[in-house]
Amino acid sequence: MSDAGVLNLVLFLPLLGVALLVAVPAGNGALVRALSLAVMVVQLALTAWLYVRFDSRVAGLQFETRLPWIAAWGVSYQIGLDGYNVLLVMLTAFLGPLVVASAFTAITKDVKLFYAMVFAVQFAMMGTFLAQDLFLFYVFWEAMMIPMFFLIGIWGGERRIYATIKFVLYTAFGSILMLAAVIYLVWSLQKTTGIASFAFADLVKSRLPLDVQSLLLAAFALSFAIKVPIVPLHTWLPDAHVEAPTAGSVILAGVMLKMGTYGFMKLGFPLFPDATHLYTPILMTLAVVSIVYGACLALVQDDIKKIIAYSSISHLGYVMLGLLSLELIGIQGAVIQMVSHGLVAGGLFLMVGMIYERCHTRELRAYGGLAKLLPVYSVFFMVLTLASVGLPTTSGFTGEFLVLLGAFRAAWPLHLAGDNLPLALTAVAVTGVVLGALYMLRFALGFLYGAPAAPHQPLVDLGAREKAILGVIVAAVFALGLFPDGPMQKTELAAASYRQLVSTSRLPGSPP
Amino acid sequence: MNANAVLTAMLPEHLLLLGIVVAIGVEIAGQGRKLSFAVALATVAAASIAAALLALDGYAAAPFAGQFSVTPATLLVKAMVLAFALPVLLMSRDDFEGGEFAILLMSSLYGACLMQSADSFPTLFLGLELMSLPVYVLVLLAYQRPQSAEAALKYLVLGGTATAMFLMGASLLYGTTGSLSLGVFARALAAPDSLSRAAVVLIVLAFFLKAAIVPFHAWAPDAYEAASVPVTAYMATVVKAAVLLAVVRLFGGATLTSPLLELVAALPLLSIVWGNLAAMRQPSLRRMIAYSSIAHAGYLFYALLGDPAGRLQAVAFYLLAYGLLNLLAFAALPAAADDRERDRFDNLRGLFHRAPFAALMLGVAMLSLAGIPPFPGFVAKFLIFRNVMAAGHTTYAVLGLIGSYLGIYFYLRVIQVMFMSPDAAVAGSGPSRPVAVGASLACLAAALLLVVFPGWVIARM
Repeated sequence: MSDAGVLNLVLFLPLLGVALLVAVPAGNGALVRALSLAVMVVQLALTAWLYVRFDSRVAGLQFETRLPWIAAWGVSYQIGLDGYNVLLVMLTAFLGPLVVASAFTAITKDVKLFYAMVFAVQFAMMGTFLAQDLFLFYVFWEAMMIPMFFLIGIWGGERRIYATIKFVLYTAFGSILMLAAVIYLVWSLQKTTGIASFAFADLVKSRLPLDVQSLLLAAFALSFAIKVPIVPLHTWLPDAHVEAPTAGSVILAGVMLKMGTYGFMKLGFPLFPDATHLYTPILMTLAVVSIVYGACLALVQDDIKKIIAYSSISHLGYVMLGLLSLELIGIQGAVIQMVSHGLVAGGLFLMVGMIYERCHTRELRAYGGLAKLLPVYSVFFMVLTLASVGLPTTSGFTGEFLVLLGAFRAAWPLHLAGDNLPLALTAVAVTGVVLGALYMLRFALGFLYGAPAAPHQPLVDLGAREKAILGVIVAAVFALGLFPDGPMQKTELAAASYRQLVSTSRLPGSPP
Repeated sequence: MNANAVLTAMLPEHLLLLGIVVAIGVEIAGQGRKLSFAVALATVAAASIAAALLALDGYAAAPFAGQFSVTPATLLVKAMVLAFALPVLLMSRDDFEGGEFAILLMSSLYGACLMQSADSFPTLFLGLELMSLPVYVLVLLAYQRPQSAEAALKYLVLGGTATAMFLMGASLLYGTTGSLSLGVFARALAAPDSLSRAAVVLIVLAFFLKAAIVPFHAWAPDAYEAASVPVTAYMATVVKAAVLLAVVRLFGGATLTSPLLELVAALPLLSIVWGNLAAMRQPSLRRMIAYSSIAHAGYLFYALLGDPAGRLQAVAFYLLAYGLLNLLAFAALPAAADDRERDRFDNLRGLFHRAPFAALMLGVAMLSLAGIPPFPGFVAKFLIFRNVMAAGHTTYAVLGLIGSYLGIYFYLRVIQVMFMSPDAAVAGSGPSRPVAVGASLACLAAALLLVVFPGWVIARM
């Protein structure tokens, strides 16, 4: 099979998984679990194979498939790997088996439906990253919401209905305006250039006046910013995270939040460069507000899931900052930060799930001295905490450091030219690192040290399955922290192309 | 007029007529329900296939010039409307005792087909009435309770009002132009004189009433609720489709201009918003679908804002997706001892655990009706709003899309009720309905084809 064929297989494997699950006789939970894990592992193996085969010296799409879908409108089924999505696709495939394995003991109700929904969301997320056609992208983007709605709504906590409806209503509102913008963008491209196409490669040929660009960017940005989420559009996130089952939280924090930043990087900013340039100060301010505000809120939470939820808002603010810096190093840092956050926050949510399975409470106050009660658990927890704080040698350090470096590099010349805002914002963003250390260490301190306390004692330390899940994550965190070269090389050309696209004016009359 | 053209062009109608005669004969002979059911099923299937085959053959003829004509496009929409009736028939098998249902259904279908070929106001009127009158009876059939009579009467009176408005408008047009041809309407759209304008407004309002556009919608929830499930499905799909397709035929190649443009945009927009808002508070699926269909009628009228060349395509594709998924939902609805109790949300609670298949089917239908991709309702919505935007009505398109956002909640609420709520205390399940389940599976298969090959279907419409 050709590499492009393998990529299609990677995309559609989860659907195959759903078909297999349907065939399993009801009540056979063990078989459902084993089958789900096997499908996810195969997907990971195939993705890893493509990741290795991915040539970092080639700009543009690799392993591309393009078939007409709705020929009359220029819609095609077009997928492929490029520097923008290769790491995120790898991340999605990497977390898949972990998500499945983490739910082995936690999910006992409607097991078949649960894994079918996990497959559905995996399929939609893969599709969103791989899509190279705006119509296809939108279909996957929106479709992602449905399995998540089920995951939170059926297997979530007490206020799950409220949380899941809120999640859908937020997400769908952003999407509906994006849909209007998509229709307008494609139609105006057709009107002005005669090209009827939804392909990303064709959409950058559009020439739009500044006011239209601004409106379209606003519509796209609203949708993406809700997903990231950027303050003040973040209020769905803590609810969704707190109520979601562990697997749902991991999917949400690990991959789905990156959809927003990926959307900005792949579509939002490159499609409307002039509007992006105009609104960079506002967007940058919002990014920094998210960093600081998210960190401050994380500092005062008593629900351990909420701490990580708010920390996600803070960490993704860095991604936005890196993307807006338009410095190669900052852009690459942003991509590394996306992957790093996926690993670290995903891992932390898994750990919260593990302790919740044992003690059935998420209140920080109920815990203490877990270092004595659960030594193995505590070691893993400490490692992930330090990665979240950004300790050198972990992935968290690489991402945040590069982003801040890029932001300073971009801000300094502006400062010399008399524009102090970027420099001031960057300086404020640095405080986020300190705040990050504060809230995570407060969390770890209360959790692991002090007088031993935990409901439902005696506690059993991690089993082999749990150790394996966390071991894999921790290994990945260190791998990305110690050897960021490989992944960064794969994104280098994409970062350059992103910078070039966002720096080129595309007002009417500008050269093609 | 040559006999051959009369025979071929009206083949679907002739087949229906034949079926009606046979079914009446069966009824007179007292052969019972099973046979008339089979006759109706075979008739409608044959008529639908005949229309589709003629359409694919590229057949076009005008056997009665100026009154009745067929083109591949009209034959295709006839095939679609007739095909919608098949699941209705299948799901009705367990609901109706006598053979009247089959006879009335086929008569109504005859009218629905006639409307699609009408070239003059009298033919259109004939089709409209022939379609509507049996439905008034169908609402009451096999369903005797006081509220049904009230709802059917309301439906009848308001239907009569619509007819009167339609005839008044047509006669005004005849008065100003001396012609009863449908083409007169398209020309009157651009005419500045008040008589033409009054005629146009009367006719448009008549169709608003028939399609249940706010503020002429009040009959729909009552009628939908009063009818038994198959009849509700028939009203929501076949009748709605026939009316909307006739509207597209009526408007022909005319581009809308102010002030009619505002009328055709504002009331449907209001329908979208109000239909979606009111649907949130309904206690049963039938009432909810009634309000949802009010909103969907809004989207469909929106298609008139688009370029005339793309109207039929947009409306037909939308109706195809909308009709299939509505039928899917109604056919999948699990049986209960009492028809009234079948679709109450209280009784659908926790349905997934009692009847997972039905719950999944209904779930797919709800998501598609909400216009959420990848389900076919999304492509349909996209097509309509794309045309509206391409015609330059960006503001209306954005407002319509925001209106459609309001609809997401109540569709998801059905899923929430079925999947996420504690089980309802339903004493046992009703009899199994293999035929209806088969119908829902067929609809699902068709919907899936629409998901995978939307381009193929769009290219042929």
